[in-house]
Amino acid sequence: MKRRVMVLTCSAMAAAAIMGGSTMVSAADTVSVAIWDNNQLSGLQEIANEWSEESGVDVEFQVMDWTTYWTMLEAGASGGEMPDVFWMHSANAQKYMDAGLLLDMNSYIEEDDAIDLENYFPGIVELYSQDGVQYAIPKDHDTIAAVYNKAVFDKYGIDYPTDDWTWEDFASIAQQIADAGADDGVYGTYMNTGSNQSGWYNIIYAMGGEIISEDKKSSGMDKEETIAAMNFVGEKILPACPSQDSMANTPGDTMLMSGKIGLYLDGSWMAKSYYDADNAADFAWVEIPYYDANENGQCDEGERASIYNGLGWSIAANSSVPDEAWSLISAFSDEAGQLRQSELGVTMSGYIGCSEPFANAFGDMDLSAFTKVEEDGRLVFRPYSKYSARWEDDFTQKFIDAWNDPSLMEDTCLELAESMNSILAEE
Amino acid sequence: MNQKKKRMFSTTRQKKVAQTAYLMVAPTIIGLLILNFYPIIQTFWLSFCKTGDFGLNNTFIGLKNYVDLFKDPEIPQALINTFRYAAVQVTVSIALSLVLAVLVNRKMKGVTIYRTIYFLPMICAPAAIAMVWRWMFNQDFGILNKMFGTNISWTTDPKIAWLCVAVVGIWSSLGYNMVLLLGGLQDIPKDYYEAAEIDGATGINAFFHITIPLLSPTLFFIIQTGIIGALQLFDLPYMIIDESSRAVRSVKSVTYLFYQHSFEKGQRGYGSAIVIFMMVVISIITYFIQKTEKKWVHYN
Repeated sequence: MKRRVMVLTCSAMAAAAIMGGSTMVSAADTVSVAIWDNNQLSGLQEIANEWSEESGVDVEFQVMDWTTYWTMLEAGASGGEMPDVFWMHSANAQKYMDAGLLLDMNSYIEEDDAIDLENYFPGIVELYSQDGVQYAIPKDHDTIAAVYNKAVFDKYGIDYPTDDWTWEDFASIAQQIADAGADDGVYGTYMNTGSNQSGWYNIIYAMGGEIISEDKKSSGMDKEETIAAMNFVGEKILPACPSQDSMANTPGDTMLMSGKIGLYLDGSWMAKSYYDADNAADFAWVEIPYYDANENGQCDEGERASIYNGLGWSIAANSSVPDEAWSLISAFSDEAGQLRQSELGVTMSGYIGCSEPFANAFGDMDLSAFTKVEEDGRLVFRPYSKYSARWEDDFTQKFIDAWNDPSLMEDTCLELAESMNSILAEE
Repeated sequence: MNQKKKRMFSTTRQKKVAQTAYLMVAPTIIGLLILNFYPIIQTFWLSFCKTGDFGLNNTFIGLKNYVDLFKDPEIPQALINTFRYAAVQVTVSIALSLVLAVLVNRKMKGVTIYRTIYFLPMICAPAAIAMVWRWMFNQDFGILNKMFGTNISWTTDPKIAWLCVAVVGIWSSLGYNMVLLLGGLQDIPKDYYEAAEIDGATGINAFFHITIPLLSPTLFFIIQTGIIGALQLFDLPYMIIDESSRAVRSVKSVTYLFYQHSFEKGQRGYGSAIVIFMMVVISIITYFIQKTEKKWVHYN
């Protein structure tokens, strides 16, 4: 009998689905805030502290990694227990807006003199609005630049890259490092299947391709230019990278910081982790390369593309402290708050014209590569649709074979276009 | 008269005992009902639905999820991955822990230290274990390749990666199995061995003819729970193998697929169908294991 019960219990546990749910109770004098980037915590905390002193309301931050964050938020949304204030992102925003989980901010915006949506990056404002209702205030924007390890360049006597370089230059410099460093196990650069926003997406747009059509109804993966760009990745960039196996083992920033590669593309949101590294003096930033489509030897309009993206500050529709939550968001997002965010080196601003201080936020490390691209480059909003998470997962996994055998690149692109189109048809 | 009185007394007493017993188990039963049985029923219902985001707008679509499931090429692969993991992990883990249990079941210096060391993995969080092993397996910076002077793609070569996952699974379950087996070993009366010795059966002979049969109830329990646990494999491949690894297809377990569909891709209905399907598979296997019980398990 005892055994039977034990077995029964075991099978019961076997069957139970894992239904996660975290509870977040907010008292009237506390606003709970959830974010996914630990790099930004200290700066945001500082702005929040200043706000707390004025308002007398405490701010309680919770930091999770990206995946946990969305699992937590979704479980919280399904169970009716969300943090008061949280970040929104293009990968999931539409889902949350459709479900009516975000607070309608229109009346708050109208009454608040410090917030005027005209002042923010239009792509980000648009992303977080639906049918004339604003569901999030732009928090920041980010761009992509190249970072290199000077120690690696010095060791092999290779000249540092400059802003006027093309993707061909990028590939050939990477190849030079890979050839020179072959005996030491040092490689040129790093680009894995999942290096999308800060990797091959940029090359696709520089070369005139696209990931998704403007109306978000069809995939751009089968476009001629997109396939040409992916072939360029396969033929010119991957040979200068560590094996795909190695890249699946270790992230690119780790490899660059440890001198395993010499050159890498990364987003402005990562700047702090390079600055905080022990060998921070080894790293320098340079603008993202351009693609010389007309071959006249200079960067013309549209030839330099950087993916940009911007997070938004949202409030839970069922928050018990919406007024306090709005007041906090207003403090983060008004001109002063956005300038402060740049000065503290948290991120560049979502408010147009407040990003300059970011370039000098990290002492000797010049970050102007991220702001310069806004003037001489084309900013492309990070491709998204309602279920972006599904097709982005597919990209990461289905490109693995093509990464190991670049001759499969074209077929993979066509296959991905097909699966992406069927996801888009469902939206 | 006297007799009757006695019996009545004993019934009320029994009633009281029963009442107390129910009271004692109530927290567990209520917990099981709310935390296990209710979600099972809900999951079962969801498996017939096309789910909307955040549990809103679920629409009943009958057996469609199950039809899709039988057409999905990822399912047979995930079943193969799960079964071969279970086969290796359960057998090796039990064999090794049996040897360890016998070794530490004797009077020698520092025996408690050994027992503690072997039990330690049991008290570590599985996620932490997986992270540490992930770094040890790292191809370029990991301690394993440094130590052996090799360049093996531990977590990316499809032929090796699933074995690496199994190694971690074995390593983490050794201690638990060993402690259970040790308990079983200490319950075996010494007289049997003395009697056997007089009859000339020692060492290996005694092990197979006395130790194993008398340990069979414990072994049965470990095998049964071990198989069920192994078939629910999720955390190890999820944490150790990167999403962009070549090997991800060969380590993806059924529960991993369920997690991906339910939580990453937002397809709760299909995810539920996967997990209900797995529950049926596990129940069938459990049934057959129960059938074998009479053949080899001896309860004194």
